[in-house]
Amino acid sequence: MEAANPSGDLSAEMEVDAFRRLFPLRFFDRHLVESIRPDGRPLGRARDTTLALGAVASADGSALAKIGSTTMLAAIKLEVMTPATESPDEGSIAIDFHMPPICSPMVRPGRPAEAAPVISKQLSDTILSSGVINLKELCLISGKAAWMAYLYPEERNNMNLKVDKLWNFMITIVDIYCLDADGALFDAALLSAIAAFSHLEIPVVSLDEDGRVVILSQDEGLKTSNEPVNAEKRKLTLSDIPFSLTCILYKNYILADPTAEEESVMETLITVVLDSSYQLVSLYKPGGSVLAYTSALQDCIALTRHRVQELKKILDEAMSEMEVD
Amino acid sequence: MVGLSLGEKHFIQGGIAQDLRSDARKRLTYRPIYVETGVIPQANGSAAVKMGATEVIASVKAELGKPTSLHPDKGKVAIFVDCSPTAAPAFEGRGGEELSAELSTSLQQCLLGGKSGAGAGIDLSSLSVVEGKICWDLYIDCLVVSTDGNLLDALGAAIKAALSNTGIPRVQVAAGATGDEQPEVDISDEEFLQFDTSGVPVIITLTQVGKHYIVDATAEEESQMSSAISVSVNRHGRICGMTKRGGAGLDPSVILDMISVAKFVSEQLIIKLDSEISAAEAREEE
Amino acid sequence: MSGKGGSAPHPTTYSPSPQNQKRPKSLIFKDNVDWVRPDGRGFQHCRPAFLRTGAVNAASGSAYAEFGNTKVIVSVFGPRESKKAQMYSDIGRLNCNVSYTTFATPVRGQGADHKEFSSVLHKALEGAIILESFPKTTVDVFALVLESGGSDLPVVISCASLALADAGIRMYDLVTSVSVSCLGKNLVIDPIFEEENCQDGSLIIACMPSRNEVTQLTITGEWSTPKIHEAMQLCLDACAKLGMVMRSCLKETASSQE
Repeated sequence: MEAANPSGDLSAEMEVDAFRRLFPLRFFDRHLVESIRPDGRPLGRARDTTLALGAVASADGSALAKIGSTTMLAAIKLEVMTPATESPDEGSIAIDFHMPPICSPMVRPGRPAEAAPVISKQLSDTILSSGVINLKELCLISGKAAWMAYLYPEERNNMNLKVDKLWNFMITIVDIYCLDADGALFDAALLSAIAAFSHLEIPVVSLDEDGRVVILSQDEGLKTSNEPVNAEKRKLTLSDIPFSLTCILYKNYILADPTAEEESVMETLITVVLDSSYQLVSLYKPGGSVLAYTSALQDCIALTRHRVQELKKILDEAMSEMEVD
Repeated sequence: MVGLSLGEKHFIQGGIAQDLRSDARKRLTYRPIYVETGVIPQANGSAAVKMGATEVIASVKAELGKPTSLHPDKGKVAIFVDCSPTAAPAFEGRGGEELSAELSTSLQQCLLGGKSGAGAGIDLSSLSVVEGKICWDLYIDCLVVSTDGNLLDALGAAIKAALSNTGIPRVQVAAGATGDEQPEVDISDEEFLQFDTSGVPVIITLTQVGKHYIVDATAEEESQMSSAISVSVNRHGRICGMTKRGGAGLDPSVILDMISVAKFVSEQLIIKLDSEISAAEAREEE
Repeated sequence: MSGKGGSAPHPTTYSPSPQNQKRPKSLIFKDNVDWVRPDGRGFQHCRPAFLRTGAVNAASGSAYAEFGNTKVIVSVFGPRESKKAQMYSDIGRLNCNVSYTTFATPVRGQGADHKEFSSVLHKALEGAIILESFPKTTVDVFALVLESGGSDLPVVISCASLALADAGIRMYDLVTSVSVSCLGKNLVIDPIFEEENCQDGSLIIACMPSRNEVTQLTITGEWSTPKIHEAMQLCLDACAKLGMVMRSCLKETASSQE
């Protein structure tokens, strides 16, 4: 694993370790000249990525994403809401990114990580602006016909109907927990959130006597007096899924998918988000000491294009595995 | 923190081994307990308990509330402990918070029974007014005024005394409320129901020093403990809750032995506490 | 359970509850009818345990535990520098923190720290760790409950001692923890969420199985002495078995590293 370690015996390895800690920049320089990174990757390659859907049973949709050792657990809980007055036919999405103390030695209880709110905002901007989720689909009773069919045959008083109509939308609350922080947190968080959305199912619901929405379990749906108001469980249609790649700009090098060590040594990051038809969703370069030429940006976008293909395949595989189970 | 020299430590440990403690007590003897009731006039019930230099105050405030959907026929009780900065320099600022939280949790475990409400020292069903709609919520607030060891036992005794001092106003429920409506109530200013405290357990903390265990340890003795357990025992000799207060591990057989010692001590403590409480009530009425 | 729920963060929304919760559940556990546990186990059977060390690379040591639906990750950091404000100490310090994810419980929670569990975890572990082996420094034990499926605290304690072993912190023995719930006349071991919610009493033991020492014991509810005896024996036996599972998990990790 140590390219700068010609002998390989234990004492020499210790020296490399010391060199790595004392002169991190020189250590990386020595590697980069050889076009290789300390973990043996070429500069433009991302780490191995895995996805597992349905990791949390207590959530309505969940996914565990792993990029190298960076691990993210995203889980979605559905709650019933009244739509906002400015968009009366839409549900809504709330996204929260958490970095609990278990994920990194830098985070301590009671002192939240600085990065968490930044990534949280970036995630919700990306997911909302990409239009991957059609907020109109978060309506509980889909289609006017179903709504009408329910309206008349049931004997309910007007008051309840008002309540029903108001509480007709779902808010999807996405909580993403970083379980192991080893760089490229945004990429892993976005991947886990998207995967959780693809796992999410909107349950069959009914209304109880007080006009509150209750979930019907499958076997129960048939025998209760309460008629289900939507016919069957359904998945959301994900159009134009956003995928991202974070790169480090250092001197003339571009390092894709950095580890935590690389991020701490070389500070200039650039995050590109493309959707599945390769349209640019967002591009994020939060300052840093290296200024980027447009050619460097284009290189980053090209790397991201390649990465999107990989991630698409990984997501498809995870989803088809889920269906087989 | 108690700063003790090596000689003092040996003296305390040696005394306990010979069943003659620094203040001439035996291992299983409590310090004299002094109870005063009705110390806070605006509360529904209150009491101050002194054990040596340890002094605590408990007050009970009753408010009408809504029962939880899980237990519609029961009231709710909340216990909070606050450590006054006057009691110890360590309690200044946020210093007392951790101890306060620990004492509150231990008291809740010892007095409030299991999750279903069974085995609670405080009879929660007597707090129900209208099933599913209205119940009494008891807020028990305790204050540690001065500390010289054995806080948990003193707090337990103060709560027991404060509860027997508590009068809950009689409530008239207006008839005619149906369905989901919240019935109207009339709280009496004159008629009070005495709270039944016969089931409230006492808490006994056994502190292990060397090979022996002692009750009612002073702060100096507590600094020498290897471990301690607190057992709450009711009048019928049944265990109502128990916690271990950190420290070294204990052999299971030792724990069982400690429980039986605690049961034995509890009988005397309950009698002692009952007579102190009734004496205090008599004084208050004069 | 305090500290877990509280008021909803989105006051204008609510989680639709499954309809079957309207039926009072406690009826199922009555003494006079024969009942089986919701997951079909015998009263004295623990859930199958899955344990793995090295779940978090960023930590000095870590472990993941899955007992039925209860899923927990514990990371151990250190020994590292104590907080600046703390005084000199010739023995090491132990700092414990337990928190829940917002989606751990059926109703979305706050994801806040669980103070009560943090302090019990500290008490359960401090008797087993050789604090003298890391003077002046602090070992941090952080636990995150990913999913709460009942018996959370015992699982956290067992998982934490495994993570400490993975971090190479010196201990007298592993700490294993098991709880029993008292439901009417019956004692059920390793209760799930539904059983804990209507229990009449509970007993949680944390012990060092090889040394036969109890590091932490908590009892709630009303118990007779013989019942305590029975429950303790049940827990201690289960603790011993869990200890063997944990040992073999550590051995597996060690042999795979060679």
